[in-house]
Amino acid sequence: MTDLILKAENLKKHFQVGGGFMAETKTVRAVDGVSIEVRRGETFAIVGESGCGKSTLARLLMRLLEPTEGAIEFDGRDIAGIRGRDLRELRRDMQFVFQDPFSSLNPRMSVGKLVGEPIETHRPELSRAQRRQEVARLLRTVGLRPEHADRYPHEFSGGQRQRIGIARALASNPRLVIGDEPVSALDVSVQAQVVNLLHDLKSKLDMTLVIIAHDLAVIRHMSDRVAVMYLGQVVESGPTDEIFAHPRHPYTLALLSAIPEPVHGRERTRIALSGETPSPASPPSGCRFHTRCPFAREDCATRVPELRVAANETRVACHYWEEIAATRPKAGLTPAAARSEGAQRRFALYEAATLRQTDRPETASNAGATT
Amino acid sequence: MNQPLLEVENLRFRFRGQAQDVVQDVSFRLGRNETLCIVGESGCGKSVTALALMGLLPQDSVRFGAGQIRFDGESFAPGDHDRIARMRGDRMAMIFQEPMTSLNPAFRIGDQIAEAVERHRNCGHAAARARALEMLGKVGIPAPEQRLDAYPHQLSGGMRQRVMIAMALANDPELLIADEPTTALDVTVQAQILELIAELQAETGMGTIMITHDLGVVAEIATNVAVMYAGQVVEYGSARSIFENPQHPYTIGLMASVPSLTGPRRRLSTVPGVVPAIGQMPEGCRFSSRCPFAAPVCAARPDLAEQDPGHRVACHFAPLERTLERSA
Repeated sequence: MTDLILKAENLKKHFQVGGGFMAETKTVRAVDGVSIEVRRGETFAIVGESGCGKSTLARLLMRLLEPTEGAIEFDGRDIAGIRGRDLRELRRDMQFVFQDPFSSLNPRMSVGKLVGEPIETHRPELSRAQRRQEVARLLRTVGLRPEHADRYPHEFSGGQRQRIGIARALASNPRLVIGDEPVSALDVSVQAQVVNLLHDLKSKLDMTLVIIAHDLAVIRHMSDRVAVMYLGQVVESGPTDEIFAHPRHPYTLALLSAIPEPVHGRERTRIALSGETPSPASPPSGCRFHTRCPFAREDCATRVPELRVAANETRVACHYWEEIAATRPKAGLTPAAARSEGAQRRFALYEAATLRQTDRPETASNAGATT
Repeated sequence: MNQPLLEVENLRFRFRGQAQDVVQDVSFRLGRNETLCIVGESGCGKSVTALALMGLLPQDSVRFGAGQIRFDGESFAPGDHDRIARMRGDRMAMIFQEPMTSLNPAFRIGDQIAEAVERHRNCGHAAARARALEMLGKVGIPAPEQRLDAYPHQLSGGMRQRVMIAMALANDPELLIADEPTTALDVTVQAQILELIAELQAETGMGTIMITHDLGVVAEIATNVAVMYAGQVVEYGSARSIFENPQHPYTIGLMASVPSLTGPRRRLSTVPGVVPAIGQMPEGCRFSSRCPFAAPVCAARPDLAEQDPGHRVACHFAPLERTLERSA
């Protein structure tokens, strides 16, 4: 059997909203029956557009929220209803990296305090001096310098702040780290730095990584397996390479075909979606995607599709994916067009030159904290 | 013959109290029916360039250099606010990244669009509202008669951006400047909005300047591309030439940082460090503090010199493979 570290079964989170003066209470089904399995040591990605419930799911897995229904197992132990000391212990094994490096760090705490705080909570046996050493080690691990411990968050750039957030998450030696859009607030060049860092840390520290993101290129680059969410449910899941090469659910097809790619003059067939994601307070009947699906048939509005095994460990929640695939033989993306021969040599030169610098990632003259 | 719609020559300005230029010698031209993409990281001066063209920078805190703008054959100084104000919203219009903060939350969207029409056309309120209705239909808002009286908060992000586009295009501008119009939107909605802008452009023949940090968007819509770094254009050329034959180390670094959707997964290249703040820019080539190829010669500013026909690069080492492989 495969070794699972995290497992969710039929997980639901419903929020009650409204109910003020003269207003009706509505139930928002943010997460509505999600089952996922995360294997030890892998990077598992959850992808979807805004409002699909991916952040709520992350907070449920992390037990920052309590599920309305369903079970969550961490390392074989049910954590759906734990509280108090058990929950505190869980926090040591499972940590979170937030999206916004600007609002998730307390501006009045020095970096040393920020990184030292989780050490104090989770490893109280360490002395003050040991703690300081540990902070220095963590800062080096994420590509910062130990002397940065005396500075404050506002002195750092976005990418560096995200590194501080990662150092904080690593402080308790977690076995699982959940990142909610950990790189989407960053410029692409800085994003690449943080993506590489997460990759290195994962192999070095023997961690499992769960990444929540809306950027499919980042997901493809980072993850081993992926689940695609739409309106609170998983519509397709499986190995990342398989899903990107052979997307089967019409929503996955549309998502992939909507990404503009930095390649000039590529021919592509776009699967255009009409309209926008409906409100999770009143999801459509039957298949929730049928209101936007270009392949929808009459019974899609009434019959709810099950997530069923398609091929190669892939599961798809669509009644008609076989027929859709048969009519669309080239569903995946075509390989990128070639760059000129000179350009290829330039990219190779650039790569070699920056690699020589990666041992000292923050040494460019302007990369230190601004004053 | 074939006069370009917009020519910008050596646009240069700084903010009062600052020792260095925010934007330095930026030049480009834009034809009718063409799209120029200005691409770069945050802090590279893309948005502030657009705001300067639209005359939207605070007059008393910005100091322009000697540059020139030529719009449809008429020349004027970039600091000529009165002239630009007459054209703004009429012959040239702008849409912004965040449609929620650029629409007035207290007014119905129909009235906001009508206001733009009344301001520049000698027409009554009724005619202006009729135009607003027509525009809402044109940008693909379902049931426009009802939406005319909606408030911005009643619309989704994609719909709000459509309203912004309707407002910008209500007076049939010849020039549209779009500052990251799809950055806040989901990819499937982004695809809809980009398509809408392309359709409207084909219909009206307007020239579009699109500011973006997303190279994917650039590849999709650009006729020409200006890569900006720290207030300077470092590479300029046709979209095809820029993507197939990029020359500047910054352009290459940006492209190599983007994870690919196809092909083998490899470690991403990066551009080390971050864009320096104004006042901390290195002398000469401003990219030299982050460039893996930087050498003493980079303390002198490189010219934006032609490498291929129409493709200009500001790098002492261009083309890299010839100058560097020889010395290696």
